[in-house]
Amino acid sequence: MAKHSIMVIDDEKIVGDMAKLSFEQDGYEVETFLNGESALARLVEKPFDVVITDLKMKGVDGLEVLRTVKKLYPGIKVIMITAFANLDVAIEALRDDVHDFFPKPVKIKELKASVKRALGEE
Amino acid sequence: MTGSLFQRFKGIVGGKQNRVPDLTTRFKAFQAMLDGNNRTLEAMTEMGEKLGGDYLFDINYIQSAYARLLAAISDSLSNFTRLTDNHYPQLVAILARIDGQVQRMLASDGSVSNRLVVIYPEITWDLAAEVGGKNYHLAELANTLHLRVPEAFAITTAAFTAFLRHNGLEERLNGLGQADSTTLAQLRGAILAGGFPDDFTAALSTTLETMRSRLGRNGTLAVRSSAEEEDGEFSFAGQFETVLNVPCTLEAVQAAYKEVVASLFQAGATSYQRQLGYDLGKLKMAVGCVAMVEAKASGVIYTAAAGKDRSKMAISAAWGLGKGVVDGLTDADLYTVTKGDKLQLVERHIGGKAQMVVNCGAIGIETRETPAELRDLACLSEAEVLELARQALTIEEHFKTPQDIEWAMDKAGRYYLLQARALRMDDPAEEEAFRNQEPAPTDYPVLLRNQGVVVQRGAAAGKVFILHHLNELEKIPQGSVLVASHDSPHFVQAIPFLHAIITDVGVPTSHMASICREFNLPTVVNTGQATALLTHGQEITLQAGEGSEFVVYAGIVQSLLQKERQTGAKLRELYEFRRQKYIMRHIAPLNLINPLEQEFSPEKCRTVHDLIRFMHEKAVQALVAYAEVQGRGLARFFGGKTALHRLTLPIPVQLLLIDLGGGLQETASKKEVDFTQVGSVPLRAVLAGMLFPGVWQKEGVALQGRDLLSGMIRAADITNGGDGLAGYNVALASREYMNMSLRFGYHFNMLDSYCSDKPRNNHIYFRFVGGAAAITNRSRRIALMAQVLAEHGFALKAKGDLLIGRLSGLNRQEIEGILEQMGRLIGYTRQLDARLDSDEMVSILARRFLAGDYHLEP
Repeated sequence: MAKHSIMVIDDEKIVGDMAKLSFEQDGYEVETFLNGESALARLVEKPFDVVITDLKMKGVDGLEVLRTVKKLYPGIKVIMITAFANLDVAIEALRDDVHDFFPKPVKIKELKASVKRALGEE
Repeated sequence: MTGSLFQRFKGIVGGKQNRVPDLTTRFKAFQAMLDGNNRTLEAMTEMGEKLGGDYLFDINYIQSAYARLLAAISDSLSNFTRLTDNHYPQLVAILARIDGQVQRMLASDGSVSNRLVVIYPEITWDLAAEVGGKNYHLAELANTLHLRVPEAFAITTAAFTAFLRHNGLEERLNGLGQADSTTLAQLRGAILAGGFPDDFTAALSTTLETMRSRLGRNGTLAVRSSAEEEDGEFSFAGQFETVLNVPCTLEAVQAAYKEVVASLFQAGATSYQRQLGYDLGKLKMAVGCVAMVEAKASGVIYTAAAGKDRSKMAISAAWGLGKGVVDGLTDADLYTVTKGDKLQLVERHIGGKAQMVVNCGAIGIETRETPAELRDLACLSEAEVLELARQALTIEEHFKTPQDIEWAMDKAGRYYLLQARALRMDDPAEEEAFRNQEPAPTDYPVLLRNQGVVVQRGAAAGKVFILHHLNELEKIPQGSVLVASHDSPHFVQAIPFLHAIITDVGVPTSHMASICREFNLPTVVNTGQATALLTHGQEITLQAGEGSEFVVYAGIVQSLLQKERQTGAKLRELYEFRRQKYIMRHIAPLNLINPLEQEFSPEKCRTVHDLIRFMHEKAVQALVAYAEVQGRGLARFFGGKTALHRLTLPIPVQLLLIDLGGGLQETASKKEVDFTQVGSVPLRAVLAGMLFPGVWQKEGVALQGRDLLSGMIRAADITNGGDGLAGYNVALASREYMNMSLRFGYHFNMLDSYCSDKPRNNHIYFRFVGGAAAITNRSRRIALMAQVLAEHGFALKAKGDLLIGRLSGLNRQEIEGILEQMGRLIGYTRQLDARLDSDEMVSILARRFLAGDYHLEP
């Protein structure tokens, strides 16, 4: 079976680096992006199985990533992580069919469980 | 931020100190300080956990978590300052310095110091990043360990930045990313052709002048790299250029400097940086200029033989310069020394040493044939080997990890240390076992599971060492799993030897816990039963996960160990992760371990953790001192809110009690109160011990002496408010605290304790002085008390007829139990001198006492 692919978008390198390391250990294929623009450009070329995105980023933010993903590939699950937990934003994201919403710092174990659920593995 | 921190303290330190605070005020400050310390430790614990690799975090998190920590430690410090009347003003500056370091790291700007050149004696710990790892470690050998290091100076990362800027190279470094070999070659060319800013040249000239005056006209330097992390977590061994035999002239050193800096962008070095997750162009390079030693012989020491056996060290030696050994040019001598109780030379291989590298002054260095008469001659005598080994051990103990050390001996037979860096350990045997498909953990019996708190996750294995006394710490063999009833900050001295720690009782926020996280030592506390379920010498494997998830297997589970190593190594190689984690270096490590040592001074505080430890210790001492002073002056008590009472006891002891709040039960407003009215938890425990049947040796008490009468005080003394309390028995007590001074004749006992539901706040401090008997008998009594106290886990110091014992971090029930025993001991030892007519009696009576038998007859 082909590896599941995960796209990780966060404007801080460390988040992507750590996520990449952790998920690759579990056999996923991971690509990381430092901004929404480059991620969306890549999404057009390749549909990932799961997208993990930061909410607050300069330019294209997490909500915009979420909406674009849903427009392009309604089936792809989007997990949002943010340092600025805010109920309004969470509600808005839920309306746009976000799969999960985590405040940072997020436990990698929980993120992995969420990805599994997104892939219907659990 | 630094400025605002000073602002916070201005009000306290400034001139608002007209009124001397009374004891109640001080006590409140003490409690507020404890609270601040707790919050700091909690914040530290949380950061340690979140930055430990199990969480995805970003800079916002670190900033807010650090802000909480800073607020807590600042509160702590202001209360401490109040409590001690600003007796340690240095601490404010130290905290400001730590804060400055952290803020700088948070701002991702490694070098803000504007010092361009620093001579080694001026390299302090806070310059570590600016001078780079190699310079820092070597300077530390000289400055802290007082080992011999050649004259040297560092050219800082600030100078590096200034050099790049001056030559317009900063821009070119940004976006170097995946630069090809042509781009890199051009960059190297630009560096080699570069000029120096004036301030750089000026600083270098001045320092070189000093060097020339110290080394003489012919003195030369080795100019070598000291990149930020070099010799820290990653070795960068041999990645960058070293230029030897550089004359102490500006032109020569500047040329050599450029060569070294340019090597940052040579092929091997760039791929190494990429592999470690550096963005090319981000690494800042400091440079070290170290006087060349006219080496008769030189070599390398691995303090763990073959990079894995920590019980032995290997010392290699060859004639001439060390390059021969380092580059593996020649068949060197090899000496093996066992570390054990005493250093011992156990193996000696004399190499052929056909070639040697010699220094030819201006021409450079040269590889020559070794003169025939020297070839088979050992470079080092046994005494010389052992001396080198001793120094190496000191270094290993200081850096708490096995070391790779370069040394040289000059013509006069003096040793110089040229480099010390962490030795990368490997264990091929274990990897081999893994490849051979070790059985899964399910095949091993489970000894313990999920009953406790994981302090540091990870998998580790080793033989169980059950610790009964702190003095056994020195005996713990390499690779043990320490199993103890309680956690203790004293364990830190054993950490280099440990693979894991498991305790019956403990909390994840203790000093020990922070240390374990700092050293990534898998640790589980509060298992309740580890000492009972595990046996001394038994081989076990601990697999600790999160929260309370852990398993202890019987036997060594290789598959778990292997997996652990792979994950850990990869994570450590993430540059950003390391960088963020480095912030913790200014927060979590504990350098101040033993309060009884000289090292325990404000100047030695390097981290937030040190500050907490220092303040706690000194706050207790200050409180004791103030309590003692105020105990001598009754008038003050009536000026303040405290109430003085006389305690009635069923034993012939009179005790004054100063109620700090909750020291007595609510009804006690009378001058004279019965001991049953005492509300103070620790004081009740001590009194219970003193009143224990059989402890108070009525039959042997010489009532005609001053022994007991000296403890008496007439009611008139109290009402008159006379200040004649010196020598009387006084207890200061609140609900959770007590400080008691008891004098029996010439014996003086001082017991200070905090006993609450928060184990970390709890302590017992005990001091015993005096005795009218002959000095030998007095020492025997001290010995007896020491034996009993050691049994209860006290850290002790005894000198002549003075005994000091300290204990902390236990839970309330345990503190109460020990205080009760202390009460018994105080009663029991009042008139022991006369009975202690032989050393044997000391042990006999100590054993009897511990067994609850209080008879003094031989």
